[in-house]
Amino acid sequence: MNARPSSPSGIALQARGIHKSFVSGRVRSSVLRDLSIDIETGELTLISGPSGCGKSTLLAILSGLQPPDEGSVHALGEDLCTYDTRKLERFRLHHTGFVFQGFNLFPALSAVEQVELPLHYLGLAPSEAKRRAAQSLEEVGLGPRMRLRPSELSGGEKQRVAIARALAKEPELLFADEPTSALDAANGQIVIDILHRIARNHGTTVLCVSHDPRLVSHADRVLTMEDGRILSDRRQQSPLRPTTGTDTPGTEETAP
Amino acid sequence: MVALARKTLIYEWRRFLPAILAVGFAGLLQLLQAALVLGIFGSSSVYITGSSADLWVGYPGTQSVNLGRAIDNGVEMRLRMDPAVTKVEPFQWVDSDWRGPQDTGGVSVFVSGIDTRPDGMMFSKALSPELRARLVEPDAVIVDRADLDNLGVGIGGVAAINGHRVRVVGVSSGLRALGGVNIVASLDTARRIDTAPADSNRTTYFVARVADPSQAHDIARRLRGAASFGRYDVWTAKSFAHRSQMYWMLDTGAGAGVLFLAGIVFLVGAVITSQTLVAAVVGSVREYATLNALGVGVGALRRVVMEQAFWVGAIGLVGSMALGAVFLLVASHYSVPVALSPVATLACLALVMALAIVSGLAAMRSLRRADPATLLR
Ligand SMILES: Nc1ncnc2c1ncn2[C@@H]1O[C@H](COP(=O)(O)OP(=O)(O)OP(=O)(O)O)[C@@H](O)[C@H]1O
Ligand SMILES: [Mg+2]
Repeated sequence: MNARPSSPSGIALQARGIHKSFVSGRVRSSVLRDLSIDIETGELTLISGPSGCGKSTLLAILSGLQPPDEGSVHALGEDLCTYDTRKLERFRLHHTGFVFQGFNLFPALSAVEQVELPLHYLGLAPSEAKRRAAQSLEEVGLGPRMRLRPSELSGGEKQRVAIARALAKEPELLFADEPTSALDAANGQIVIDILHRIARNHGTTVLCVSHDPRLVSHADRVLTMEDGRILSDRRQQSPLRPTTGTDTPGTEETAP
Repeated sequence: MVALARKTLIYEWRRFLPAILAVGFAGLLQLLQAALVLGIFGSSSVYITGSSADLWVGYPGTQSVNLGRAIDNGVEMRLRMDPAVTKVEPFQWVDSDWRGPQDTGGVSVFVSGIDTRPDGMMFSKALSPELRARLVEPDAVIVDRADLDNLGVGIGGVAAINGHRVRVVGVSSGLRALGGVNIVASLDTARRIDTAPADSNRTTYFVARVADPSQAHDIARRLRGAASFGRYDVWTAKSFAHRSQMYWMLDTGAGAGVLFLAGIVFLVGAVITSQTLVAAVVGSVREYATLNALGVGVGALRRVVMEQAFWVGAIGLVGSMALGAVFLLVASHYSVPVALSPVATLACLALVMALAIVSGLAAMRSLRRADPATLLR
């Protein structure tokens, strides 16, 4: 079990002894091996590591999109491994948001409709859904462009719509997989700032997979993975919270 | 509610166009086929539907009007004796051979010998009183406008039927026959044309009117009982017309042909429509997967696909009805026998909607590819 840095506000995600392997043809490759981790509530946690080391797979398992072969996953105190497809959908509907590398917006819908769409399934009244959608778009700086369709938006703007779509549900957990890799430097920075702000202002637990070095300076905690294991777990002098106690300014590192 | 299905259909109409066209053409083909079949086989009973008689009396077991055999003239007395019968009229059917003035060879014709009085029941709906009156003249005949070329005559032309000289005194419309050409003459003329010696003192059919047409069925059953005038049977006009049409439909194999073609059209339409819908789903599969990741259930996504299928079906239906109406108007303008009953129309439309729904169900299956885990790689 991992020795963890101290947590002031509890654990949002907890994985214990996770194994995951894929069979392609006759070859069985182990992607995650006996991985255990706790993700703190309200923090921006970054997972980085070389390509193919299992980062996205870990994200899929922690978010309830994929079951592990072995081990247990608790999200917000609920044991995801015991849930069937429908229960997992309900859990995701009420508690999680996703931002993917691709923007995955419906070409036919305007920005505000993209954001509104999932809210209806949440059971919100149409007027409330509209209000929340507009509010989230304002928050990502797209208030003036909310009537535009994806074909009329830039890549950075599309990713911000995707973030607003995840955000409007007011989820406790936000998962992002390489949210900046399809964007140029300036747009990447904007998206990073937004993710940072979400964690700070909404108390959302943000778990982000990225290679982007700029994200490192914004994260509360950086996990480095290699070959299906966590190599290092580095708590940074928090950019989100004032430092407390006798911690030396800078970083604090624990070996897993 | 964001109308995802409809907005996508409108925004990406090019993508859905093949499905809409497939549904539309399938609907059009079914409608035209039904109209043609009903029109063509409807003409096998034009003698009945073009007349105002309630009862038909003929040889027992007669399957179709054109297969009538002569019955004893005494039957007329039996009919007149029944208090419910208000009017009785003979109808002579003569299968014969036409030789026109031009070299058209022999043409098989059906001579209908009718009562030419203005209040006659036979062909009261198909011939104007003025046209009937012209038949009083001996050896006068009326032919259908659409058959003039076949017969090689015009109005006033002279020809021979079974070697008997006749003169064309007028043309009718809507009296085309199946498997031959209809010729209308007076009863006297028809009897002179009839060369079969066994037919003297015999008539092919008697038609009758009853006081209360809603009782026709019971009266027919009552009249059927008597055996004193040789063998005969009594049918209501409606059941005899239906019987004639069914005979032709089955005898010519057209019924099976219609079903076969309907099946083919359904199959081809469903393949094109489902493939188009599948392509539309696959084209948006990452978006659907994202919605599923955000917690929108697979059931809700299926409803979106089914709604798209429904709209494709509805638009295709409206298109096929509009085009079908145009085609039918044009067809009836050119004397092509077409007829559509409300039931047949509804059946065609239901079939086409079923096609769209089946295609939607097929497209729904491809939602399985919308696995949100594939978005994380
Ligand atoms: N569905 C699958 N079937 C087979 N192999 C898979 C599947 N998903 C992932 N893998 C394999 O698991 C390994 C880890 O994949 P994963 O997507 O987690 O890597 P990653 O760390 O996100 O890499 P990158 O930084 O390039 O995105 C890879 O070698 C990949 O080939
Ligand atoms: Mg990845």
